[in-house]
Amino acid sequence: MPDSNVKARCNLFAVLRGIEYLVENDSDCKDLVAGVNLAIQFNVSGGPSGNLSFKDGRAEMKSGKHKSNIVLYFSSPEHFNKMIDGKANPIPLKGLHRLGFLSGPFMKLADKLNYYLRPEGELLFNPEYFRINTELTAYTAFFALAEIGNYDPLGMMSGSHIPDGILQIKVDDGIGIYLEVRNGKMNCVKGHHEDPRAILSFSSLESAHKLLNGQLDTFTGLGSGEMCMRGFIPMLDNMNPILDLVPQYLS
Amino acid sequence: MEETITNKLYTNKKSMEIFQRGLKVLPAGIPGHLGPVQSQFIPTSAYPLYATRAKNSYFWDVDGNRYIDYMCAYGPNVLGYNNELVDNAAMEQFKNGNCMPLPGIAQVELAELLCDTITIADWSFFMKNGGDATGFAKMVAHAATGRDKVVMIEGGYHGVTPWTQSLTHAGITPADVENNLIIKWNDAAAFQRVVDENPGQIAAFISTPYDHRVFADNVLPSDGYWQKIRQICDDNGIVLIIDDVRCGFRLDTAGSAEYFGFKPDLACYCKALANGYNISAVVGRDSLKDAAAKVFYTGSYWSSAAPMAAAIACINELKRIDGAKVMIEKGKKLTSGLVEAAKDAGITLKISGIPSMFFMRITNDDSLMMQQEFCAECAKRGVFFVSHHNHFINCSLTDEDIRDTVEIAAEAFRITAQNNIDRLNR
Repeated sequence: MPDSNVKARCNLFAVLRGIEYLVENDSDCKDLVAGVNLAIQFNVSGGPSGNLSFKDGRAEMKSGKHKSNIVLYFSSPEHFNKMIDGKANPIPLKGLHRLGFLSGPFMKLADKLNYYLRPEGELLFNPEYFRINTELTAYTAFFALAEIGNYDPLGMMSGSHIPDGILQIKVDDGIGIYLEVRNGKMNCVKGHHEDPRAILSFSSLESAHKLLNGQLDTFTGLGSGEMCMRGFIPMLDNMNPILDLVPQYLS
Repeated sequence: MEETITNKLYTNKKSMEIFQRGLKVLPAGIPGHLGPVQSQFIPTSAYPLYATRAKNSYFWDVDGNRYIDYMCAYGPNVLGYNNELVDNAAMEQFKNGNCMPLPGIAQVELAELLCDTITIADWSFFMKNGGDATGFAKMVAHAATGRDKVVMIEGGYHGVTPWTQSLTHAGITPADVENNLIIKWNDAAAFQRVVDENPGQIAAFISTPYDHRVFADNVLPSDGYWQKIRQICDDNGIVLIIDDVRCGFRLDTAGSAEYFGFKPDLACYCKALANGYNISAVVGRDSLKDAAAKVFYTGSYWSSAAPMAAAIACINELKRIDGAKVMIEKGKKLTSGLVEAAKDAGITLKISGIPSMFFMRITNDDSLMMQQEFCAECAKRGVFFVSHHNHFINCSLTDEDIRDTVEIAAEAFRITAQNNIDRLNR
């Protein structure tokens, strides 16, 4: 049973964080935030706080409370999660005159997130859609993994067994995400680290897509060569049970 | 260029073809600890996946490559694969009868032999795998004490039944592990603490004779450790169980507890017991014989006579040649050669554990990536090491095998060093 607070953290720091990626990779999204310079503060009572800012055509999600133009309040993690599912509205506390951004461009960004994370029809046959869907899903899954490893009781148990170091996940000649692990706490970062202690790599974006969508299990992927692991394997061994929890929080 | 043992590189085409078939019909392709993922075959393509035959210290894969083997089927190969003495004893029993409606005489003969061989053994009980043995020992402890909890060592391995696994593993429920109390290795004070915190509730303390976990240097017991554990068990009515499944007969024929100078209440054996025939055993002190009799624990093939005949032949031969001493000496010779070969390449190789089942680790990087490269280069040249687990020596290993191994390892170290100049210069 997913914990609502952990789910709120996943929704805020993994799902909504996807907007960072979209404004970099989708031209419509890029246009939506062109010239926009504002920050939205999300405050969840009994849950996380996060700040999504837009500046110079880029988006950035930060944990905690920061300078903002709009403050949105949620009475509970459940309230925030319902908002993400489109079944509840936030309570605006500041920036009422900027709400047009929320009902306009921000809603369109949210719709785009949904468009890319929930493929319909034959969209996946479009190579550019496939790339964005897979990369966005990967970022979302691993940022959620860090939240689950830090806050879900079972995730924390696995996390506490991950040895310290950098765990790199990457697609050969493609995107990279790494987890910085120290004393069982993990932080997810986009990119490639120069000195990882363990590496899980995918031979292609297609292989990553299959794993993320439950069409490829780790053992088959590693055996067939679609995936490769090396380095200090206990890092991966103890990350995998957390990865198995991700669908419970993002489904 | 002239072909030598160091430059002839193996290929594994047939292995990979069969594995692709296996992936379609078997979970993980090769389930269990022999699979390429569990075995840390990194990369998979460097390693053989299916064997066709084995003899002494060698096995041959489906591509026709011969390997000098230091995994010994993860322990069972103790005298040499297909040892004639053992095989003949098993075959003779097979001809007369193996799986029958009654046990064969071999059951009594093997029990007598174990009681004559293992210091603490007043009785024996037979099953098939190491996990059967540890599970039975735990049940005997519960039956004898009427208590629920068991103290275990963090990182210890006692098989794959649910109580031996971590809650984070697939298929394990909280109820499976709720009576486990986990402490660190070599920490008798921690044992005393959990005993004090759980008065009258702890049935058993179970541990391997020394810490031979995977992925880490193996650690021997500190001075007086086992004596303190024994004393705490005696003071609190706790059954002391030694899981000698992996170490058994490779440290001391009389039991690994004998090697470290203490006496457990129960000891579990498997691997080296019958040189590859499927049998395991629990031996115990007389005080627990009644509890062992009361525990209902059996299986379709547990009384099969041929593996018992094999075990009798295997143990008698190990006693005759002082197998544990032989393997420790061979292990010393091999590991000293490996350390020197590594040093020549500018690599530091650390050996830990008992030489007959040594663990080796390249200490120049903490990621094991150099270690994995080294093992893969060895595999490509016909020496079968793995990067995460202790290795095993068997009695048939020859000086020539050791010489060839060190020669191949030297080349593998040289290549690994060449590929990791930045790491070595850190």
